[in-house]
Amino acid sequence: MTVQMIFLAFFGGAAVWFGVVVFRTHSMVRSALALLFSQTAIGAMFLVMQAEFLGVLQIMMMATEMSIMAIFMVMFMMDPGGLGGMDMSHQKRFSIGAGVSAAVVAIAVALLSDWGPAAEQVVDAEAQTRALGMELLGRSMMIFETAGITILTAMIAATAVAIPVQNLSSKDDKEASE
Amino acid sequence: MSILVVLLSLAAGAYALAVIERWAVHGHLSLTGPAWAALALLGRESLLARKSDRLFFELGPVLLLVAGLMAVAVIPLAPGLIITDLATGALFLNAALAYVLVALIMAGWGPNGAYAMIAGWRFLGQFIAYAMLIVMPITAVAMRAESLSTVEIVASQEQLWNVLYQPMGFILFVVAAMGLAWLPPLDLPDATGELAGGVEAEYTGVRLAVLRLARMVIILALAGATVTFYLGGWLGPWLPPWAWSAIKILVVAAAMLSVGRYMPRIREARYLALSWKLGISLALANIFVVGVIALVVPI
Repeated sequence: MTVQMIFLAFFGGAAVWFGVVVFRTHSMVRSALALLFSQTAIGAMFLVMQAEFLGVLQIMMMATEMSIMAIFMVMFMMDPGGLGGMDMSHQKRFSIGAGVSAAVVAIAVALLSDWGPAAEQVVDAEAQTRALGMELLGRSMMIFETAGITILTAMIAATAVAIPVQNLSSKDDKEASE
Repeated sequence: MSILVVLLSLAAGAYALAVIERWAVHGHLSLTGPAWAALALLGRESLLARKSDRLFFELGPVLLLVAGLMAVAVIPLAPGLIITDLATGALFLNAALAYVLVALIMAGWGPNGAYAMIAGWRFLGQFIAYAMLIVMPITAVAMRAESLSTVEIVASQEQLWNVLYQPMGFILFVVAAMGLAWLPPLDLPDATGELAGGVEAEYTGVRLAVLRLARMVIILALAGATVTFYLGGWLGPWLPPWAWSAIKILVVAAAMLSVGRYMPRIREARYLALSWKLGISLALANIFVVGVIALVVPI
């Protein structure tokens, strides 16, 4: 149990530290990848807590999502490499206030909720995966399907918005080939 | 003990693969060639570009190697000969190989060179094309095995290998795996003759040696995954299980290394269109067909 606690604290600390690095660095790519490794550390925390499927899923999803975010950050920012020493933080007073109040709320929830007795024995990973599948396709099916349809709608909408740009590029291609 | 055996066979496999790749590219077989090339790389000066992102530059090849090794950890070579038999092995393999993308972006961004950077971002485009086609065929494989454990997946093919049970999934997976390992014709990140080596362009000496080794490990991991998921893993008559694993993995890796060399390189936009319009439809059909077969004829 204590070894587990040490690892949990280590990965928790790593997650927070990488979270700080996101705003301390000047480079957009470093910022995005720091966020990625912060999320990976949270995935490792799941693994330490023996929630194998959730941990592996978190580690897998974040790698791709944050990499895709990185390219958008590079495309839209004027100084993606941070060679000009750009500051990542802005609206400082508002951000500090929002950050502190969010932290207070999170700590209050952590301390004041009734979490029930801590589980000493955990069912093995295979049973967990099975239970998770049953949950996703049973009681929680409606919620997850709604979320899925929402994401699909957003994807179609985003593609629809992008279509004029695609037409322009295909016209360019046609002109180039002529 | 089994960790040591797997790592040693991985080293041997990587060397064999280097010999095969040399054979496929230059057309003559040399057993000592890769050893001399590696020695030369180790002795060469390791250059560092000006104004590079030093951290990413150094970490890129290392992360690539770590990702490959993590993927190898869940591939069974024989009953009991596996580094760790995770209950979520098939998913873990994906999670490990997702960091190939991160490593290549780091290695591309790090040296502050145009060729490398373009190559790194190109791989992101390529990733969006192949990613779903790695995961969706594995879903169908896991459906048949009723488990994500790689050992269970091999055991489920006792009666009939998955390559016959779900041939469409096999083809989709192998093509996507070649995209993941940036093998020709999907070799946009190094694109020899077009991007001057791409991600490899700015690397020299020891760092390049690590990068090339990592790539060999990734190809081996993907060949191992193909064998585990579709070609019955260690199953086979007469020979001992480890020998079957070794033969199958080397044959698949050799095929992946040599077949694509006779095709023109595919642009990432075209690869994306093909993958999403044709590939994902086929992968969904594959999942459906496998689901129906699994329910109707239990083999």
